[in-house]
Amino acid sequence: MDGDWDQVARIPFPPPGVRAMATPVTTLAFDPHQELLWTGNDYGRVMSFYGAELQRYTSFKACTTHGDLKQILVNDKGVIVLGSRDIHMASRRGPPIWHIQHEAMKDLQCMSFTSKSQTEILVAGYQEKMFVIDVSKGEITKEISTAHSYKIMKKSRYICAATKDGLIDMIDPATLSIVRSWKAHSALISDMDAQHDFIVTCGFSLRHTQSYVPDPFLNVFDIKRMTPMPPIPFPAGGAFVRMHPRMSTTSIIMSQTGQMHVVDLMNPHTSNVRQVNVVSSLVTMFEIAFSGEAIAIADSASQIHLWGSPSKMRFVDFAQPCEFATADVPLPAIEWTSETPLNSIGMPHYREVLLSAWPDMVSDVGAPPPTLDPQFLATLKATDFGLYGPNTRGLRRNQVEDTRKADKATVVGIQAPKFLSEKARESAKAAGNTTGFDDGVDDVADT
Amino acid sequence: ISGQIMSNLDMLMHQNDGLNSTLYQEIENGRLFRLLCKLGTINERQEFDGDRQWSENGERYMIKLFRDYVFHQVDSNGQPVVDMGHIVRCLNKLDAGTEERICLTSRDDQSAFVVSYKELKKQIGSAFGELLKGRTNA
Repeated sequence: MDGDWDQVARIPFPPPGVRAMATPVTTLAFDPHQELLWTGNDYGRVMSFYGAELQRYTSFKACTTHGDLKQILVNDKGVIVLGSRDIHMASRRGPPIWHIQHEAMKDLQCMSFTSKSQTEILVAGYQEKMFVIDVSKGEITKEISTAHSYKIMKKSRYICAATKDGLIDMIDPATLSIVRSWKAHSALISDMDAQHDFIVTCGFSLRHTQSYVPDPFLNVFDIKRMTPMPPIPFPAGGAFVRMHPRMSTTSIIMSQTGQMHVVDLMNPHTSNVRQVNVVSSLVTMFEIAFSGEAIAIADSASQIHLWGSPSKMRFVDFAQPCEFATADVPLPAIEWTSETPLNSIGMPHYREVLLSAWPDMVSDVGAPPPTLDPQFLATLKATDFGLYGPNTRGLRRNQVEDTRKADKATVVGIQAPKFLSEKARESAKAAGNTTGFDDGVDDVADT
Repeated sequence: ISGQIMSNLDMLMHQNDGLNSTLYQEIENGRLFRLLCKLGTINERQEFDGDRQWSENGERYMIKLFRDYVFHQVDSNGQPVVDMGHIVRCLNKLDAGTEERICLTSRDDQSAFVVSYKELKKQIGSAFGELLKGRTNA
């Protein structure tokens, strides 16, 4: 890590409503292609922030019903968001692409890409089933039974999956079978990363006082030789760890209080120490950008800290441009009078069928208006704005009535066809003979 | 008499031009009206209550937000702004399905989407198609 690294931005994580309390970040992820930081909260909402100033970009609800978001994965098409009972994929700009809910998804916790092309993911959690999902189609392609409950997944050569009791399974991404298991910590694993040839873990052990205490070391596993390496001491108690994406043997460890060490796994005695300014709160999450030039830290006071070199801060090396709303061209003001034709605003250039193209359909026009049943009218109360009362007609609201057919039903035998005007006149007469439409209204009004 | 014929012809031409320009002025109305009919028939239908597609994480949620974007403009003090120019402009872009992107925000300011008119056109077209299909099945 360079000498000039410092806090570049710190923003309070936006609350879920105008008057609502701020909520802590439940998941953080850097975008591998654009200058974006993705966050999830415990209302199922995903928010993205652009660039070094962490300017708000898009925000959308991914999972409505089941609380906090567990993990976010980003590929070239969009973001995949994991909730505990559903998986949602959306474009970076917010519109949804697909959404999967399945009755066997009970308590999902983690996911990982399986292939290099990032078109397939493996999803697991505190449940007996894992799912393989085709990302481009948005379909479950395979269900796998598993003996372990997985909490964290990271993909390097294998999919490294941490269970909730301190074990790490290395899963072959092609066959999805467990290649090897490694007991990394005695009680639980708080964080894990796998990159290049290493798996690094931070964990807790259970002391006899029945409290969890962070282990004062970082555990390392060498994937190439398939053996654990000697643990690297970290007296402050490691809670979070990430491998540096560029320097293949460097990892960054962080304690809950914000003490950060940058350590070379091959030469653990020289380390670079920094302190993140988390005032009266604890670090809850930590993530490093794909360029290695920025790290994001979330704390329990719902703040997001962004660290990096202020001069060359970037999340991705060759960032694709972020798609913002098209800039508004100032338009001539038109004074609208009743005479102004609507074509004073031109159509944009187009080649396809317009949306206003109306499909072929038969519409019945000019049928006589439906008559209201006088018995129904009698149940209504009259006010100066009209009659009101509950709908007791036995029809749905706004139900279409076939007034032509209703007329025909009363006619016995074949009769000469009538003009519409004649029919209307007749029905008015018929209504007048019984209680009468107009009279009925007056009757009600008088009472 | 040749002078009379010429001036008569001239007047006829003028009248023709006048008719043409009136026609072009009014030809927009039908197009915009049909578009509004489509929007009106699909928006806020009771039978879509509880349909996930129209909920906050559904594909159709943007159609609701677009309706607000077009018709429910406000100024910086929150006072309603009625701008026919804005409405017609937006509807024209929607009708053609341009690549232009707009930012749609939910009423609680919590959701922000960046959507192109092309995507909106597709969504509205499919929502309307579904409506027609439901009608023939029933």
